Amino acid sequence: MPAVLGISGEYHDAAAALVVDGVVVAAVQEERLSRIKNDARLPLHAARACLAHAGLAAGDLDRVVFYEEPVEKLERVLISTLRTFPRSLRQFPRAVGAQLGGKIWVIDRIAEQLGVARGKVGSTEHHRAHAASAFFVSPYPRAAVVTVDGVGEATSTALWQGDGSALHELARLEYPHSLGLLYAGVTAYLGFEVNEGEYKVMGLAAYGRPRLGDEFARLIQLHADGTFTLGLPYFAYLADAELGFGPAMERLLGPRRPPHRPWDLDDPADQHYADIAATLQQVTEDAMLGLAREARRRTAASALCLAGGVALNAVANARLAREAGFARIFVHPAAGDAGGALGAAILGALELGDPRPAPLATAALGLAIDVAGTAALAHELGLAVRTTGDVAGDVAALVAAGKIVAFCQGRFEWGPRALGQRSILANPADPDSRERLNRAIKRREPFRPFAPAVLADRAAEYFVGADADGDLTPFMTTVCPIHDRHRDRLAAVRHVDGSARVQTVTSASAPELAAVLAALDRTIGMPIALNTSLNGAGEPIIGNGTDALGFLLGHPIDGLVVGDLVITRGAA
Amino acid sequence: MSFVLNRLRTIGRILRHFISRRRWFLIPLLVVLLLSGALLLATGGLSYVAPFVYSIF
Repeated sequence: MPAVLGISGEYHDAAAALVVDGVVVAAVQEERLSRIKNDARLPLHAARACLAHAGLAAGDLDRVVFYEEPVEKLERVLISTLRTFPRSLRQFPRAVGAQLGGKIWVIDRIAEQLGVARGKVGSTEHHRAHAASAFFVSPYPRAAVVTVDGVGEATSTALWQGDGSALHELARLEYPHSLGLLYAGVTAYLGFEVNEGEYKVMGLAAYGRPRLGDEFARLIQLHADGTFTLGLPYFAYLADAELGFGPAMERLLGPRRPPHRPWDLDDPADQHYADIAATLQQVTEDAMLGLAREARRRTAASALCLAGGVALNAVANARLAREAGFARIFVHPAAGDAGGALGAAILGALELGDPRPAPLATAALGLAIDVAGTAALAHELGLAVRTTGDVAGDVAALVAAGKIVAFCQGRFEWGPRALGQRSILANPADPDSRERLNRAIKRREPFRPFAPAVLADRAAEYFVGADADGDLTPFMTTVCPIHDRHRDRLAAVRHVDGSARVQTVTSASAPELAAVLAALDRTIGMPIALNTSLNGAGEPIIGNGTDALGFLLGHPIDGLVVGDLVITRGAA
Repeated sequence: MSFVLNRLRTIGRILRHFISRRRWFLIPLLVVLLLSGALLLATGGLSYVAPFVYSIF
């Protein structure tokens, strides 16, 4: 009974994933437990939680696999520092300090802190872990695989061929040429936080026009073979870890946008920044399309798998689905670095002779919510708690009445999306709910859109291309146009371009949410809910019942549903 | 004891990696860095060696 733990961390999005006998048993991001957004520290809480879920102790593990080769990363840091000397002189102590202070000893620290024999702990390549996370839990026996992120050890982009239980590398592109670092650099230029604000840039792009093609042609040159070259003088990350873009980018695009300044898209200055985001989005899509087409040319595969942080760009994924020539596409739900933990665990399990895991049917791979414990704490806090025999009916009635409901059921999700286990639900037809959510509850920029969750077998009625058997919509990794006849009815989940980031729901992927959607069909006439993540501004998504009660007390929502409990702020 | 053995194992792995990749030009830098790392470990923390690290870098 081989048990293999995969670990990611030490940069951002630390996570642990456990595979036992070739079955993905649990996968948990550290931030859900530590309550620190994008927590990068070694995911000891997450690792222990995975083991506890499986009823295992650390000593029962046959192997632990870290998602990156620390020695190769050290080599890249040293060579890059020498190449950019003397500009890198200021960065050198910090870079070397980070390596010596922890990163190169990561395998030792995992063994010591988890209590596993050092000989059982190993590592795999960053992009191989990404590729494994996407291909081995996809429904495809054979596929092309594209992995794109900022940088792993030295690789920023790689093409693979997945065949059964094997992954063959076809090509790689190395740092400093990186689509992820281009996106991160422009994200920083636009005043957003890197590794956090990329979603905001994608949302902002819909409000701009991609009119800065000539300027971006200096930032990145796309080649016919799918590769690309960055205009390195415009970027500062080679010599300054803090700053992704350099003064040359400000000379090219204008002064950077000050962080935290409120957005006003009627202001020509902010419209200029929206145009920059739109151009970045277009260039990113073009680059991804070039890579996907090259992968298809090399593999002749009919299916494509994507992973790496750039694969979280749902708008780009939609374009790949339309134009790359693949019949089917799958994106790992935790496509960023967290997902590397699962890829590493699967690679370790395959090496030990386990079979390839089954396709991922649900992202609910985290820890279950403690309903009884939540009820006890809610009573202690003086909250009104009642048990309902019709959770779906009650939630649908609240949502139909324009209420905003926090919804916690079962095990929490794997990846950055709330998929019905730790969600906020609202009426998809009610723009007032959207405004309230954006301004009072989530406190986000006004251009940030919300997503609809829809019953899978009814999705095609409302969304173009959202088929019940699609592989992208179950994990909310693409966007689909809303049918014209429903655009007005779906005002709260409609992007400015008439599309929506659809999640298709089945009783296998999220049974409680599927029941709510069926009940909503009876009350509002559509099996659709506005579904957004259950977290406040700058916080990780809720993990346990205590977090959920804290959210209820701290935010103006109308109710919290945990299991079969309906909890409100009124007196008990 | 296992703490020291684990670190020695990792140092061995690093050196084998750089030798196998023929990164000879990095060996002097690496030796200085690893000695610095060993100094940090041997003194049990930064407070004793901080003045040296400051003057080196």
